[in-house]
Amino acid sequence: MSLSAASESHVEEFWADKEDVPGEKAMWLFVLGDFLIFSAYFVIYLVQRAWDKQGFLDAQQHLDINLGIINTIVLITGSWFVAWAALAAREGNAAKALSLVRLTMLSGFIFAALKVFEWSKEIKAGYTFTSNDFFGFYYVLTGIHLIHLVFGLAVLQIVVARLKKGVADHRLVETGATYWHMVDLLWVLILAFLYMLR
Amino acid sequence: MTAQAAALTTEVTSVPDRYREATIRDQVWLFWCIPGFFAVFGLVFVVLARVMPPPAPGKSSAEIIEFFQAHGFTIQIGFVILIIVTGLFNILNGLMTVHLKRTTHGKTFAYAFLFAQTVGVTPGLLLPGVAMLAGALRPERSPELLVTLYDMTFLTFVGSLGCFVTAYIPLIAAILLDKNKIFPRWFAYVSIWNLVTEFVAVPVFFFRDGAFAWDGAISFWVDTAVFVVWQNAILIQLFRTINRQPPGMAYPD
Repeated sequence: MSLSAASESHVEEFWADKEDVPGEKAMWLFVLGDFLIFSAYFVIYLVQRAWDKQGFLDAQQHLDINLGIINTIVLITGSWFVAWAALAAREGNAAKALSLVRLTMLSGFIFAALKVFEWSKEIKAGYTFTSNDFFGFYYVLTGIHLIHLVFGLAVLQIVVARLKKGVADHRLVETGATYWHMVDLLWVLILAFLYMLR
Repeated sequence: MTAQAAALTTEVTSVPDRYREATIRDQVWLFWCIPGFFAVFGLVFVVLARVMPPPAPGKSSAEIIEFFQAHGFTIQIGFVILIIVTGLFNILNGLMTVHLKRTTHGKTFAYAFLFAQTVGVTPGLLLPGVAMLAGALRPERSPELLVTLYDMTFLTFVGSLGCFVTAYIPLIAAILLDKNKIFPRWFAYVSIWNLVTEFVAVPVFFFRDGAFAWDGAISFWVDTAVFVVWQNAILIQLFRTINRQPPGMAYPD
């Protein structure tokens, strides 16, 4: 009895000053559900790819892998800034967190601009939404990813508005960071499945 | 409770006691019309008209004529019922509007939600119904015309999910910005799933087969699965919101 009671009190003591998850719980529900939906999309993509592997591989040749990798670096850099901003907010440094979140937003805008440039390049080369099944998936998956990113910019704008008032609300910054990391991770999966899978 | 919340939940003292509970009771009665509507909706689309899950877009003209001839009568019965009950869907919109108006930023968002939802119902329910009824009225008409009506039915029915995207934006904004805690925040996030997946209904206008066609794995199945989750979520939290409001609520205009 004494041993289990002691270890339980130890556990309680450890968790006493800690929150369950960083940021808002509902945001984690959102992130997990979103991954479930994207997993369904990826499975459907892989099944359709298995039916016409050569066709998908031929179409894939026309994607610009360099642009894909540059965009990955841009997004991961942004994720690093927002993680750093969460640390700054935990320390109560609203001014530092504010500039870091703004840098993350900048990375988001660069990503979106590069994505629009990439699409226009593909469209000029004659690869549109209906060219073949691969490009159907390409535009849909990168398109809904971009919608997620635009939502992310709106979320970070809410964080910026709060930080501007000098409030280092670390829960809010963590919530924004959680969402932004999801945008980042989804992009890495899209890069792997669409651009790289051979 | 914040000052704003207090202002919104002011009790109407001049109302006699026996009417004070009436608002909640009325709303609960109206609320149960919505699951009723969806039950009829399921009966019409799945059992009577056989259009859910949707038949393939790649059917030949002969198969489409066969479809109208085989199911003509049940199509007529089903969609006539649908035409009569479609308005019930707006009870959901009405109840949501009443409670969205209680949120701190609610007034404009509530009306934006209401009218955007209404825009989606016309192509989503009435247009496919009328196109099917027109096909079933004269199944002997020329095959090209029947194929057109068949395409129109499913393009409007599945593709119109894209119309609801504009309704979810004010809904999500109203919930996330709300300080009165009228709706739970998780519901806003569930609405984002629904918004994003309904974007992906729009490719049905471009594809005749594969995952993005109107019977496709992404445009129909994933979309419908998320829509069912969302529809259950909106009903569950609306029911809770109705029952949690103070009796004798005075609603903002």
